[in-house]
Amino acid sequence: MTSRERRQLFAGIGFTSLWIVGLSAFTAYPVLASLYYSFCDYSILKEPVWCGLENYSQLFTDDLFWLSLRNTLFYAGLSVPLGTIVSLSLALLLNSDVRGKPFFRVIFYLPSIVPVVASSMLWLWILNGQVGLLNWIIAPVLNAFGATPPAWLVDPTWAKPALIIMSLWGTGNAMIIYLAGLQNVPKELYEAAEIDGASGLQRFRHVTLPMLAPVVYFNVIMALIGSLQVFTQAFIMSAAAGGGTGTGTDGFPARSTLFYTMHLFATAFYDLRMGYASAMAYVLFILIAVLTWSATKLSRERMSHVQ
Amino acid sequence: MKARTPFTRPVIYALLGLASLAFLTPFLWLISSSLKPLEQAMALPPTLLPHAYYAAIDGSRSEVTIDFTLQRGGIVADATAGEQAGSRVFLTPAQALARAKELQGAHRVSTGWVHVTEKRDAAEAGNGNPRWDIVPPQAIDSTIRFRWKNYPEALASLGGSAESSDGSGSVSFWVFLGNTLIVCLLGVVGTVFSNAIIAYGFARLKWRGRDAFFALTLATLMVPFPVLMVPLYGVFRELHWIGTLLPLWVPAFFGSAFNIFLMRQFFLSIPEELSEAARIDGSSEWRIFWRIVLPLSKPVLAVAALFHFLYAWNDFMGPFLYLTRKETFTLSIALQNYQSQNGGVQWHYLMAASTVTILPVVVLFFFAQKTFIQGIATTGTKG
Amino acid sequence: MARPCRFVRWFCRCAGDRTNEAGRSPNSVILLLLTAAMLSLVSASSIAATAPADGRVHVAYWEKWAGTEEAATRTVIDAFNRSQNRITVEYFLQSPIDRKTLVAVAGGDPPDVAGLWIHNVASFADAEALTPLDPYIEADGFTKQQWLDRYYPVYARAVQHSGRVYAGIATPAMIALHWNKTLFREAGMDPERPPRTLAELNEFAKRLTKRDSQTGALLQVGFLPQEPGWWPWIFCRWFGGQVFDGKSITLATDPHNIAAMEWVAGYSKTLGRDAVTSFASGFAGQMASPQSGFFSGKVAMIFQGVWYNNYIRQYKPGLDYGVAPAWPQAVDGIDDFAMAEADMLVIPRGARHPREAWEFIKYMNSHNQQAQSREELQGMELMCYLQQKNSALRDWSPFFTNHHPHPHIDVFRKLSASPHAVAVPDVGIWTECEREILAAFADVRLLRATPQDALAAAQRRLDKSWTRHRRSLERHGQLLPAGVATAP
Repeated sequence: MTSRERRQLFAGIGFTSLWIVGLSAFTAYPVLASLYYSFCDYSILKEPVWCGLENYSQLFTDDLFWLSLRNTLFYAGLSVPLGTIVSLSLALLLNSDVRGKPFFRVIFYLPSIVPVVASSMLWLWILNGQVGLLNWIIAPVLNAFGATPPAWLVDPTWAKPALIIMSLWGTGNAMIIYLAGLQNVPKELYEAAEIDGASGLQRFRHVTLPMLAPVVYFNVIMALIGSLQVFTQAFIMSAAAGGGTGTGTDGFPARSTLFYTMHLFATAFYDLRMGYASAMAYVLFILIAVLTWSATKLSRERMSHVQ
Repeated sequence: MKARTPFTRPVIYALLGLASLAFLTPFLWLISSSLKPLEQAMALPPTLLPHAYYAAIDGSRSEVTIDFTLQRGGIVADATAGEQAGSRVFLTPAQALARAKELQGAHRVSTGWVHVTEKRDAAEAGNGNPRWDIVPPQAIDSTIRFRWKNYPEALASLGGSAESSDGSGSVSFWVFLGNTLIVCLLGVVGTVFSNAIIAYGFARLKWRGRDAFFALTLATLMVPFPVLMVPLYGVFRELHWIGTLLPLWVPAFFGSAFNIFLMRQFFLSIPEELSEAARIDGSSEWRIFWRIVLPLSKPVLAVAALFHFLYAWNDFMGPFLYLTRKETFTLSIALQNYQSQNGGVQWHYLMAASTVTILPVVVLFFFAQKTFIQGIATTGTKG
Repeated sequence: MARPCRFVRWFCRCAGDRTNEAGRSPNSVILLLLTAAMLSLVSASSIAATAPADGRVHVAYWEKWAGTEEAATRTVIDAFNRSQNRITVEYFLQSPIDRKTLVAVAGGDPPDVAGLWIHNVASFADAEALTPLDPYIEADGFTKQQWLDRYYPVYARAVQHSGRVYAGIATPAMIALHWNKTLFREAGMDPERPPRTLAELNEFAKRLTKRDSQTGALLQVGFLPQEPGWWPWIFCRWFGGQVFDGKSITLATDPHNIAAMEWVAGYSKTLGRDAVTSFASGFAGQMASPQSGFFSGKVAMIFQGVWYNNYIRQYKPGLDYGVAPAWPQAVDGIDDFAMAEADMLVIPRGARHPREAWEFIKYMNSHNQQAQSREELQGMELMCYLQQKNSALRDWSPFFTNHHPHPHIDVFRKLSASPHAVAVPDVGIWTECEREILAAFADVRLLRATPQDALAAAQRRLDKSWTRHRRSLERHGQLLPAGVATAP
């Protein structure tokens, strides 16, 4: 290593030293400690005792683990694409030449800054089966077809869709990022497309979408990682909808909203099985890594295909 | 300028209007509930505007609460003897006939009539049962009345009731606000400066191991919070930070993968020639960072600041895990006080306090949104 | 607060799109860092400097209640603080109390006294989160038996786990069948006669159920097992079953439990599952509201606690209701079955002032047996008088007996004395048991599984949990061959 290289290395380490400390203390150490705990019988109040693969072998034979995984994948599988469609559509609408953009932007962004306790309470009312706002709106339509509206949060079939509807309301963050992405699409491309006689739909298909692809990729990955960890709303809503039965960690009704992180939280902080919870957390980590990797691969293929 | 969406303008306005309605309705409800008395905030079916209702009870007009509509008629009377002496009863005609001797002021009420109860302040609530009657719906008149009192009352009761003699144990709304501001502002300061310094190291300096380290940094974006939760708790415990605000803002001073990524993207877009010229002049890297790159980076700093502020303002999980004493609570978890564990929620207060809580961020976002969006746009979120 | 203002100005400048003021930033940056350092010092010191200088020991007491319960508790605390000159107890509201306490024990900064739920005691004790009270009891000159004999038997059992005393009682409560006399009258039934047997309960429920003549939708039901649905396990006990027999989980192996769940499923079958879901969705989760099933006159009979009268006074004043002197007889020969609930007081492990905490718990678990007036009430009786609940201690004082504000207190006194009263099962994996039972209950109620299948699935998981839990206790040296830990 030349002295210049050494100087550069010192400068690089100097500038990133805060992050080296932060990464070690607040990420690397916890990640490694978690890995160790996942091989231990550990309750946080007592010393961890090594137990080998016991947690992992219990994990794969735990039907609640599989149930919570299924619930979570159902939630992520619907909320991510629907959320992408909603936020992208809103961004496209706002990117057109309309008046009052600042107000619309605030309106669409607003839900993502409401404290989760308040928004959960609000939606508890909206989704009330008998007199909620949502059913008040859709009941006349459904009744015309001879159907009755669902009881949402207290019906095991509809509790997850209810939470997905609620999640669509909070897509403001993604919308803002799309909006920023749309501003980066060069105007010349649109003008060129127009000269070629491309219709609005064609312009969207052949100009906007390819240019926006990296942003979509970024947002989808972030949304996926977020939705696989869905917790707080489900925790508060399930506890409240259950009317004080259980603790919010039982996935009321009938475990239909028992999400992965909720099951993890219950084992960690209610059953005090931190070792087992760490094993669960690691499996989630691996799952996210695999999904992100496949999404990256998929999007690379797609993007190179488009180009 | 041409519209860049595949729709014509009226369609766009119609869609925007519809979407706004869908997004705003819950807020209208939030605000209207925050201005209602409790029984109307919980009333089924809900009403949009808060009302004050008036009806005659025992011949005198008073403000009342609407309880329910009768499914079947009967007799209302005051019992003067027997087990229910002194209280008002609702009976079927046959029962009334059988007890005729011990009843007074009996009058017939019909299906569709409405049970109303005299409305009382909390101060009067202790003095016996409030009076009630059953009246025909047309005998009830109402005016729209907003209960602005909810706001001061909600803020006053957020910290717990001050019912003990010395008022100890009650914490003021301002304490929660102060805690929230400490966490948010210190966090913002930490986020902005630590990440700018770190991102500079990744974006503008060439050194061995840099790219591998950056890849590792990006990989940490995938680490789910539960993996960190338990050991992180242990770290803060060893530092004796549990029960203080420190775990909520100190880590911001040590960088975060997302913000490093965001700022690195921006720094990459600043022409390298500027730095080179300064290096030739003999400037140190720190000076180049401080004097040249940082001043040009305000848009991205603002984005990171706003992102972190919004995140910290609403963070529920962190305060939930690390704060133990009420004096240290932030607003996001103090709001839970209205949702007491006995199943009762003071909806009107919860809604009022929520409105107060979101107001600052709404205003902040409204005025900062243009910079915010442009800032994100300039970073070009390309992987 | 000039410095945050400077920060706001800086922020606005940044947000205001004027990006060319390069020259001034370093100075303001240094100021900002100083501000940060200042503020952090302030926030750190404001937390550290809480020890008051009045010469008394300040006991931190964490409790879960706001509102009337808080007001009552504060009154009793004031009485305790005035009764001696050494200790001052301070009330802190915490929610959710059990997780907060646990996290604080793990964090090494627990309160001196925590007001836990009754079902926390066993699992917290097994987690070594609690301080055993036996040494304090003995140091005060009681034998353990003497101390426990002062309680009604059900409460004496509830304060113990693994042969040790881990808790005192903050407020006790008995659960009883409440019925709406007006609805009984409407149905042409005797409003003064509650059901006395299970068969009668079912029959009354049928007679009190009303449907819309056209749509068939439910307008009123006599009884719903899921209202309030807080203790589905009690149905197993009521039917003569056990959830845990002291050695193993017996959820699916005890036929009484299956019978109890068959009974639950019966209500869904008779009333119609979807009809019930739709009917109950209007009031689910709203016990303290005029819209709750019982208060709105949509449910005629409900099992609720002694606290229910407080909510009736608040949300449905004038409601004409009765409290049944016994649970309807479900097992031959047991006509005095009852359920006990309680809020518990514990000393978390690592508490700074355990001795003073014990003094407070002792006060809260004593009373003045001679009290002739409100002023002479002490400890538990003062608390239960203010909260209008039954006491957990035998030998009620004359004033408490004769001037209790609850109109049906005699019923609750009789229930608490019952030798067949039961409380939550004493098992270290109760959090898991409760979740399993709730899930099985929901599956049964929604006819998603037969009672046998639902309980068998729960049993399978709980068997594993119980084996694992015992292995874990063994690993940490807490399990002695007899299954009863004694040494500290």
